[in-house]
Amino acid sequence: MKRAHRSALAALVAAGALLAAGCSSDSGGKAAQDRAEEGEVGQADTPRMTVALITHGAPGDTFWDTVREGAETAAHKSNAELIYSSDPSVSGQANLIQNAIDQDVDGIAVSLANPEGLSGAIAQAREAGIPVVGLNSGMDAWRDLDLLSFFGQDEIVSGRAFGERLDEIGAEHTVCVIHEQGNVGHEARCAGVAEAFDGETEVLYVEGADMPSVRSTIEAKLRQDDSIDYVVALGAPFALTAVDSVADAGSDAEIATFDLNTELVTSIEEGDIQFAVDQQPYLQGYLAIDCLWLYHTNGNFSGGGEQPVLTGPAFVDGENIDTIADFARNGTR
Amino acid sequence: MTTTTQRVRRVLARPETGALIGALAVYAFFFAVAPTFRQFDSLATVLYQSSTLGIMGLSVALLMIGGEFDLSAGVAVTTSSLTASMFAFQLTLNVWMGVLVALVLALAIGAFNGIMLVKTGLPSFLITLGTFLMLQGLNLAVTKAITGHVATDSIRDMDGFDQARDLFASSVSIGGTGIRITVLWWLGFALLATWVLLRTTYGNWIFAVGGHRDSARAVGVPVTFVKVSLFMLVGFTAWFVGMHQLFAFNTIQSGGGVGNELLYIAAAVIGGCLLTGGFGSIPGPVIGAFLFGMVSQGIVYANWDADWFMFFLGSVLLLATLLNLYVRKQATTRRLT
Amino acid sequence: MTGPGPSAVAAPLVELRGVGKSYGTIRALHDVDLTVRAGEVACVLGDNGAGKSTLIKIISGLHRHSEGELRIDGEPVRLGGPREALRRGIAAVYQDLATVTLMPVWRNFFLGSELTRGRWPFQWLDIPGMRRVADGELRAMGIALDDLDQPVGSLSGGQRQSVAIARAIHFGARVLILDEPTAALGVRQSGVVLKYIAAARERGLGVVLITHNPHHAHLVGDHFTVLRLGEVELSAPRADVTLDDLTLHMAGGAELAVLERELANGTTDSTADGTTDGTTDGTDGEDVTER
Repeated sequence: MKRAHRSALAALVAAGALLAAGCSSDSGGKAAQDRAEEGEVGQADTPRMTVALITHGAPGDTFWDTVREGAETAAHKSNAELIYSSDPSVSGQANLIQNAIDQDVDGIAVSLANPEGLSGAIAQAREAGIPVVGLNSGMDAWRDLDLLSFFGQDEIVSGRAFGERLDEIGAEHTVCVIHEQGNVGHEARCAGVAEAFDGETEVLYVEGADMPSVRSTIEAKLRQDDSIDYVVALGAPFALTAVDSVADAGSDAEIATFDLNTELVTSIEEGDIQFAVDQQPYLQGYLAIDCLWLYHTNGNFSGGGEQPVLTGPAFVDGENIDTIADFARNGTR
Repeated sequence: MTTTTQRVRRVLARPETGALIGALAVYAFFFAVAPTFRQFDSLATVLYQSSTLGIMGLSVALLMIGGEFDLSAGVAVTTSSLTASMFAFQLTLNVWMGVLVALVLALAIGAFNGIMLVKTGLPSFLITLGTFLMLQGLNLAVTKAITGHVATDSIRDMDGFDQARDLFASSVSIGGTGIRITVLWWLGFALLATWVLLRTTYGNWIFAVGGHRDSARAVGVPVTFVKVSLFMLVGFTAWFVGMHQLFAFNTIQSGGGVGNELLYIAAAVIGGCLLTGGFGSIPGPVIGAFLFGMVSQGIVYANWDADWFMFFLGSVLLLATLLNLYVRKQATTRRLT
Repeated sequence: MTGPGPSAVAAPLVELRGVGKSYGTIRALHDVDLTVRAGEVACVLGDNGAGKSTLIKIISGLHRHSEGELRIDGEPVRLGGPREALRRGIAAVYQDLATVTLMPVWRNFFLGSELTRGRWPFQWLDIPGMRRVADGELRAMGIALDDLDQPVGSLSGGQRQSVAIARAIHFGARVLILDEPTAALGVRQSGVVLKYIAAARERGLGVVLITHNPHHAHLVGDHFTVLRLGEVELSAPRADVTLDDLTLHMAGGAELAVLERELANGTTDSTADGTTDGTTDGTDGEDVTER
């Protein structure tokens, strides 16, 4: 009995070793990822500081992960410790700001999904003498809140740019897919598209937390109205899902999207998705933390305290995809 | 069996004992690993986070002791703040008018849930799931239709705003530390609810309808009244928390509140309320909400990687619940009399 | 609380005359007579489906009879519901509906009729008063609990039934209807319940004891009614019945006599069939063979 067990185990180990040795992949996988991540950055010798990045991103969102990636790099370069936290609800975010104040950090970077709601917490941070910078959303409110700088893209502006691009291409009827009901930024993007686009723009709400439902809702819309020739997604994962929906519905519609991720780059290379408007989340995170470091060590701040620093819209399409592809695969675009 | 061991057993058998031990353990833990956690300011932040959850937790716990759930409680909070804000803003009224209208609406939502439940005999899970989804849709659709945006306009400069903010969303300084007023409301409501649950006829009825509805009816407890009023009580606290959100953050996003209903239920369950009804206490959900606030802020004070946040939160809550279960089992193993 | 008044001697507390009940085309009960007097235990026996539960439902006001007459204190009535029955002093104690198991004994005792102090909305429970009364009433029934705060669920099955009985008596019941109070209990616990039934009788209550156990019935019963397929198979005062009679009637009566003859003749094939046909209940079968 025991011997049988042992020999079975030995066979299993041998088989496993063979598999591992003989069947390893020559391309892709973890190995390729590791190769791509080479190149350590240097580090400043300024005194150690602590900065907090507080966003309204839902956990697991690729976009916010890229923002955080940029912030981590900037923090590492600046010899700073980064405390990252996020909460999609405004009360949760306000609490996290309070939490950062309790920890007496040297600077706070915050995304202003709901500037009005965060004003109290931000004022408390200012009272405590902590410099605050804004990023991502809240373009029209950051000056009123007495923030140092703001890094992000104007959603309406980028929506308009998106709409103009659609005109250039010659689209006639688009559907703008909102995957988070009630998100101000999403509404603004679709509003911007509708404003600048000469053709017809419809808004479609989908249940963003449930991908299969997103897929079938878009498919149903395309089946219901076959004059739709462009699907506008507001996030990379949803654009990728829309590719399937278009195929399922047998529609000729093309797809374009806001925001970028690794898989989306591949889809643009392969022509499944026409273009993406990138707001460069990595840059937002990086610049916000870098700005806090500059202010802390040298009193500088970007934008002179008057103008926001725009990180988008940057168009990514078949023409410039090659230069961006490698960076995107690092999770930094 | 001596009276001392009997007394100890009775304390251990109380619904909230396990949660209390769990909370003390979590407190000691974060006290040890996160220096910032030890400050009074941090405790105030934790208490504040716990308080809005905790106020809802009170009524949800009472409802659960009465044998029912309310999945619509999370979005009902947003519904009431949206109503108050839009009513006052659109008609340019004193904000107190909006506050009152929201109260009526919140109570009506509760009454609707309760009456539907009693009339159809369907499980509260289904009824309130329906209400939850309807309210979620209404919140967005009505807000969009009325304001044209997905968030309400700021009512900060309107008449009555400052008074209302004093009531719902101000801060009180205690020993140099700013305590949010919701913390005081929370503890005040908890005292009141404890008294009602343990010292009044109505409290007796809550236990009875949750423990054995048919027995309660057989001895003449007005089951329908108790159930409907409990749902209305949840409506009341949803209104209160909604008003806090409105006056603390000035504007309200129409998509908010989704998912919070589970946290309310979690606070009650961690606090020892039985999911099946008929058993529970008020200190229980108070401790449950505090535990939740402590863990969610403590993880940040300890500067643990935010990616692990939900995992830590879940595992601490699970551990607390297991401890709760263990303690109760120890205490309620059959007595030999 | 309520002793047998002078009128109770004249008219029985509850009297059924030729009562029947049909549910659509199904006749559940037909031509049943039953008399419940103060200070008497009227036992209703019968197998599953004999019509016992229909009978209780009629007396306790849950269902209305479709034939015959129901008299309370000599007056013919049609009960509108259980609350009306309660008002007339008829309280039914159902085995599974007796108490709320998670609640303390004293809360259960006063559930639905709590004692309070103060004025609404500042009205609070008179907890010391409720404890005192509950303890007194339970002791009067011979139940002494050292901890009134323990949940009813931690009491033994017999004690739980007894709490419900004591409660019904305290709140003015003159007629107690007990639905299979010993069905789920062991021998000792059944004994506990039977003692309380006797105690209730001593206090002058009329008791309707529904059971399918002739042994239990014979220990406390003053009058026995055996139902079979919705009709009265036997109705006799204690003096006219022995335990054997009761058992025999319960087990099938005349059919059983035929069966006995068959068994004596030794037809092995029909033995098995006959036993299952003749007795629907395993315990009853054992009783037969013991004799």
